[in-house]
Amino acid sequence: MTEATAGPALSTVDGDGTPAARTVGVTRIYGSGDAEVRALDGVSVEFARGQFAAVMGPSGSGKSTLMHCLAGLDRVTSGEVWIGDVELGALSERRLTLLRRSEVGFIFQSYNLLPTLTAAENITLPLDIAGRKPDQTWYDRVIDAVGLRSRLHHRPAELSGGQQQRVAGARALIARPTVIFADEPTGNLDSRSGAEILDFMRRSVDEFGQTIVMVTHDPNAAAYADRVLFLADGRVVDEMRKPSAGKVLDYMKQLGV
Amino acid sequence: MWRVALRGLASHKLRLALTALAVVLGVGFVAGTFVLTDTINSTFTDLFRQTTRGIDVAVRTKATFTSASNEQRAPMPAGVLDRITAIPGVAAAEGTVSGYAQLVGSDGKPVTTGGAPTLGISLSTVPRLQSATLRQGRLPAGPDEVAVDAYTAKKHDFHVGDRVQILFQGAPGEFTITGIIGFGSADNLAGATLAGFDPATAARVLDREGRYDEIDLVAADGVSESVARQRVATALGGDYEVITGRQLAESNSKLFGQFITFLDYALLAFAFVALLVGSFIIVNTFSIILAQRARELALLRCVGASRRQVLGMVLGEAGVVGLVASVAGLGVGVLIAFGLRAAFGVVGFSLPGTSLVIQTRTVVVALAVGLLVTLLAALPPGLRASRVPPVAALQQQAVYAAPQRRRWRVLAGTLLAAAGLTVLLLGVFTAVGNRWVDLAAGALAILLGVGLLSALVARPLAGVLGWPFAHWAGQAGRLARDNAARAPRRTASTAAALMIGLALVGFASIFAASLRASVTQILDQAVAADYILSGPAGGAQGFSPQVAARLAQQPEIASVAGVRIGLFKVDGLTGQLFGVDPAALAQTVITQTTAGDLNEISAGGVAVREDIATAHGWQVGDRITMEFPIGGAQSEVLRAIYKDNQVNGGYLLGLADYTRYYPNQADSIALVKARPGVSADASRAAVDRVVADFPSVQVKDQAEYKQGQASQINQVLVLFYLLVALAVVIAFIGIVNTLALSVLERVRELGLLRALGMTRAQMRSMIRWEAVIIAVLGAALGLVLGIFFGWTMVRSLHDRGVTQFSVPVTTLVVFVVIAALAGVLAAVFPGRRAARIDMLRAITTE
Repeated sequence: MTEATAGPALSTVDGDGTPAARTVGVTRIYGSGDAEVRALDGVSVEFARGQFAAVMGPSGSGKSTLMHCLAGLDRVTSGEVWIGDVELGALSERRLTLLRRSEVGFIFQSYNLLPTLTAAENITLPLDIAGRKPDQTWYDRVIDAVGLRSRLHHRPAELSGGQQQRVAGARALIARPTVIFADEPTGNLDSRSGAEILDFMRRSVDEFGQTIVMVTHDPNAAAYADRVLFLADGRVVDEMRKPSAGKVLDYMKQLGV
Repeated sequence: MWRVALRGLASHKLRLALTALAVVLGVGFVAGTFVLTDTINSTFTDLFRQTTRGIDVAVRTKATFTSASNEQRAPMPAGVLDRITAIPGVAAAEGTVSGYAQLVGSDGKPVTTGGAPTLGISLSTVPRLQSATLRQGRLPAGPDEVAVDAYTAKKHDFHVGDRVQILFQGAPGEFTITGIIGFGSADNLAGATLAGFDPATAARVLDREGRYDEIDLVAADGVSESVARQRVATALGGDYEVITGRQLAESNSKLFGQFITFLDYALLAFAFVALLVGSFIIVNTFSIILAQRARELALLRCVGASRRQVLGMVLGEAGVVGLVASVAGLGVGVLIAFGLRAAFGVVGFSLPGTSLVIQTRTVVVALAVGLLVTLLAALPPGLRASRVPPVAALQQQAVYAAPQRRRWRVLAGTLLAAAGLTVLLLGVFTAVGNRWVDLAAGALAILLGVGLLSALVARPLAGVLGWPFAHWAGQAGRLARDNAARAPRRTASTAAALMIGLALVGFASIFAASLRASVTQILDQAVAADYILSGPAGGAQGFSPQVAARLAQQPEIASVAGVRIGLFKVDGLTGQLFGVDPAALAQTVITQTTAGDLNEISAGGVAVREDIATAHGWQVGDRITMEFPIGGAQSEVLRAIYKDNQVNGGYLLGLADYTRYYPNQADSIALVKARPGVSADASRAAVDRVVADFPSVQVKDQAEYKQGQASQINQVLVLFYLLVALAVVIAFIGIVNTLALSVLERVRELGLLRALGMTRAQMRSMIRWEAVIIAVLGAALGLVLGIFFGWTMVRSLHDRGVTQFSVPVTTLVVFVVIAALAGVLAAVFPGRRAARIDMLRAITTE
């Protein structure tokens, strides 16, 4: 059954050492006056290294905002966000960009590949932006992990949705970031392609020790994770370890989503 | 539909304003041309009406030879005046003369104008015929008295009672200023300086004794202008031109107003370039804006709008933009005209202060031109937009894959370019029709054709030009190259604006360089003279033959050849000949004869250039019928045929004949050869000694002469540089526009790059390199065309002496660099926009 406990700051450190990412009392408010929206309301969570975490919740629960704040794409109204041992709030725009470049990877729902670049070029894009050369051994391992060796010189328009998302997965992995954020990675995919990318993420965690935080609606996707956080109205309302699709679905029903 | 169109306009205000700027400038130049021309014409007509108001009928000889800006009339014998006075109904008649007279300022330098003549005139003694109005003092009445126009008096500080030196074609003289004259409210006549004398003195100093240039008469009471004109015409027979005072005013104002023709052409060239370059930008802006609104348009189609309605909406938007821009352009045109008129005042054209003339025609043409250009330019993107399938509205991503009408584009582009090339080459290699029209039309067609085709080569070309950026500017450079190559049509039409500018400048600078090189070569090969003397106004006005005569007497000087230039007619066509002494010419100019003996023309007869003789089938000994200002048609013996050396011109006439056939015996040029062994300093001193008495004569040694020729060429180049500046400014606007719209379109992509760790600086440099690639692409295409156009121009002038083809590499490289810098600058604003993109909006799914 679930280990549901009400209130914030209940997550504990799994794995070893400092967490890969964490928030301390994060609040994010959009707009002001009547139009004020409290997207996050005092969220404190920790994501352990080498763990695959899923964040779930109904629409408007703040799960995407949480991810954006964690990834340094959005600034928090109050509270602290840490990637490794760096607090993002203190960083200049430029330092934040450089941190994102080296410490954070992304997988988006709509793939977000550059149409002008080939698959291989898209994969190495983060390194290219940083002006770094990919480590050949690592590059080969990543390519093999996503199984795209034969499609490397195709442009995104010539790839299927599943293949494009695997390119995005490889791109996220290539710089060996501290944490990869995946935003509804299976949202645009059929179930087989979805399973492929989830499988890839699972293996990245198991084989390479990668940390992944995934926002999803889909209980089947959440079942690939080690742990699921449930958000509602901008607060963490519950958490589930070693989830299965059935258990997640049951809990969601219970939440009334 | 109108509401949608207006909303569309409102949501792209800045974009459309930038687009409209090109139309504003183009229309401004068109309107400015009209306003200025109308204003000056009406000013001159008023002015000359006023100065000729007392004249009922004027008599002069027929203009034998009329060139673009000059009429050559022979004076008539004084006896004509007696015949006119005897005609019943003529109350009073008086002969007038005019000619070259140049005042010398208190600084000892001749008073010059900005190209207007320096005139000496006889002032009428018949009160009704007096055109000048006395401002101060009294009219001159004596051999050493003169009246000066008020503008010159004011500018050079001449006062009544002052002594002033005046240069004539004959010996210069010194005079006392007795009066200051004006013409109605104007201080001078269309910029000319005037020295007025009593009739007897004028005849003496202007070399018109016993002759008149014009006879003005007043009809008796009760005799109308036209009746008087008729009577005089009947009495004199067909040898003279007899016109009414009103006709005289019109004829004079036309002649004096001709200087603005050049200005008209220049302004219209500006208008043309602005509109041509601008239309590319309009096409582009509308294409991009419509592509971005494809879903909106598809939605309209979904809810039942017909294709025609969508097209109508687009054209409606374009119409509003065009109309607003044209109205603004009209205002700019009035400002341009106003500014230029003020500039005339500064350079010495004293124009009476009439208000600017804005005719209905000006307004109609300006609005029509602006509206038409905008609508035509908006038509292709409008048609494309109307083909958006309704289903596009329902698709998740706006897949706006308009049918790539590449085949049509290739066909149209190739046809245009090929037709242009044919016409151009016809113009170069054949002499059929008007070759300048051929060249211009051909060049225009090629420009448009290449503009269409350039979309096809833009991708590979951008790849090549982007190579250095891709390899040395990191990922930003690589992405910039890819972005420049991804929408070839957009890149091409953005670059087209610069292409036209660079084609112009490439053409002009190659032409100028070739001209310079050719002139230098000619001078080196054909001119043996050490010094070249020319008259005032760049040799357009002659100087006294005394100069040559006195130079010839100097011990340091071996030979002097005075060259007089005259117009004549052969086979009904006006030509130009040089009157020379062949013996002196042989010492100063190297001429190769292929038949006959050039020296024989000293006794009478002509020599003709080889190509002209061949064209007419003339042989030495043939008789050629030539028509001269004095004596009419004459049969001249062809004495010699010579090879083209770029100095002698087409026809050489011996001085003996020239003296007989031409009223004006001034030298236009004198070529001076120093005696061998005399040092350059000594011979120069000798020349300067003689010329000291003729301050209007300019002395140049060979090097100075070459320099002078080069600087004349450079002056024309300035106009082209201004044109290019205009094209670059408009092209700059185009690049800003395209990039800003592209940034807007690629928000998601750019946001992703930011999310993946691209810094703002990298973002800016990515946009910057894209702009530079586009700019250099346009510059490169333009230069290729410009070099080609330059070559055709030089080639077609080969028989006119432009034998050298010279490419000023440094200048051209500088222009490419300028184009690249324009790209850098153009990227500033869009780059800033790109750097500020909100990452969240960019990467979250809609």
